[in-house]
Amino acid sequence: MQRIPDRNFDGLVTPTKLHRSLYTDPDIFELEMQRIWGQAWIFIGHDSQVPNPGDYFTTNINHNIPVVMIRDKDHRVHVLHNRCGHKGAKVVEARSGNVRGALRCSYHGWSYRFDGSILKIPNEAGYEGTGFDAKDPCYSMQPLAQVQAYRGFVFATLSPNAPDLETWMGGARECFDNLCDRAPEGEVEVAGGVLRYEHACNWKFILENLNDTMHPMVVHESIVKAAEQYIATLPADAAKERSEAEIIPPFGASYENFENSGITGFDFGHHYDGGKTSIHADYSVDPDYHGAMLAAYGEDRTREIYAFNTHNVCFYPSLTIKCAIQNIRVIRPISVDRFIVETWSFRLKGAPDSMLQRTLLYSRLINSSMGMVGPDDLEVYRRTQEGLASPSNDWVEFHRQYGRDTELDDRIIGGGTSDLDMRTQYKAWKGYMDGSLFAQYAAGS
Amino acid sequence: MIDRQKIEDFLYQEARLLDQPDLDTWMTLFTDDGVYWIPGKENQTDPLNHISHVYDDRVMMEIRRRNFVHPRSASKDWNVRCSHIIGNIRANEVTEPAGAIEVTSNQHVVVWYRDEQRVYAYRGIHVLIPADDSFKIRSKRVNLINAEAPQQSLTIYL
Repeated sequence: MQRIPDRNFDGLVTPTKLHRSLYTDPDIFELEMQRIWGQAWIFIGHDSQVPNPGDYFTTNINHNIPVVMIRDKDHRVHVLHNRCGHKGAKVVEARSGNVRGALRCSYHGWSYRFDGSILKIPNEAGYEGTGFDAKDPCYSMQPLAQVQAYRGFVFATLSPNAPDLETWMGGARECFDNLCDRAPEGEVEVAGGVLRYEHACNWKFILENLNDTMHPMVVHESIVKAAEQYIATLPADAAKERSEAEIIPPFGASYENFENSGITGFDFGHHYDGGKTSIHADYSVDPDYHGAMLAAYGEDRTREIYAFNTHNVCFYPSLTIKCAIQNIRVIRPISVDRFIVETWSFRLKGAPDSMLQRTLLYSRLINSSMGMVGPDDLEVYRRTQEGLASPSNDWVEFHRQYGRDTELDDRIIGGGTSDLDMRTQYKAWKGYMDGSLFAQYAAGS
Repeated sequence: MIDRQKIEDFLYQEARLLDQPDLDTWMTLFTDDGVYWIPGKENQTDPLNHISHVYDDRVMMEIRRRNFVHPRSASKDWNVRCSHIIGNIRANEVTEPAGAIEVTSNQHVVVWYRDEQRVYAYRGIHVLIPADDSFKIRSKRVNLINAEAPQQSLTIYL
């Protein structure tokens, strides 16, 4: 393995600033892949992507380690290293599909059961008496160190020392509950395909931007103004009830609005803004959907589900979800200055099609590489990536409302325009990088 | 009777407006109920229940063309210039809507943006409505050959 010089992480991250090399140094990127992406629970996919035995979905768990999520004949979902136990070829090449019978390597025909164990090696007699043992797990398609799911969302980790998934998610798992509870049947499923968006900058910028509420009114001013200018040309009696008219204007919400939405941080770097309110809180409610919700949950519980309204929920470092929109974005780094964002949309089971259509409208309008919000975000990330080459100041600051965060039992809360989200994720960043974050769990294992 | 010369002239006129680009004039080529669509996958049949890169009606075109020239859109600080080459044009009369002509073409677009030159290739499907000795676009579908691939920011219609 590549030997990467270690770092003094106290010298790179302080409570109010971090060193610019975090975005530009390829060695730090390699360390992040080993220590953050190699330890944290990484989102792999949703179990609705593999509904039937033999259905599979492939991805990388970090910048280059290939894995496959597959459902076995007993309907259990596995996440396996996508590497043949023989010569090492990737066994599954397509992004998704179904294999009948067994996984089969295209090189020498070794085949595997859906749990990764060897089913058959062609002309196996040649191994007799050689000391080769087909039952040795090292010759199987090995499962990831740990694989767990929460309400259908499948995570895996390369670390045997990671705490269980629910402990790791902490209080942020309430956001998965809220996303799923918004379905009259209490379950969601992936629907409507995926958008992949290439970002020519460091992967951390998007996580920092999710709950950076000081940027929307600046970066997204143009789309709000363009929409306002168009609406101003319409006759007074023109119909204006379009979903776009609910989605676009909140991007220009005031500092006060965002301050009131609040930010909540958790152990292991997770954070969200909103809760009592967010930029998605004032969407109208489809009457058919509302009827289905009332029938399923009754009035009080339905109102309670609607009332928990978050903007972006970051499960550091690989996933961000929008409960009120029902879409998620999945992050995959490529190199120190390149990553891919995937936007997946979800159907609320038991809800009318109009709900999925609104989710897809949002994904298309806001998150598409040809949308009217995403490209402006990416443009400022790229300018930051390029600007940080300047030696004029080695530090990036995040002082906003420092010292005013409130620590509760399982979370930290603060003002919606604070840098609490930055403090939260970079505390975890340092804990992963210096090895302290999972140390207590390793000791107990 | 299909007048191929008129159809070609119309496609070249549209391409010229996108090359410049002049979105204000370009969008007047569409009917009031016209739509512009870049599907998210091959052979996509449904623009509403499956994700697309773009699916704009005239209202969204109205907003997008204003955003395109807005001084506070950082991604638009970079000029974008395009060069469309159109070939393999085929035209057929269709019955829905009445009198319409469906025109398919292969389009290669070289895009200059952010100091980079990129190539997009697509099969275009225009549904044209005869109007005033020319046409209006009822729908334009852009079937990118790499619709499922990771895409870079694109600030212009193709």
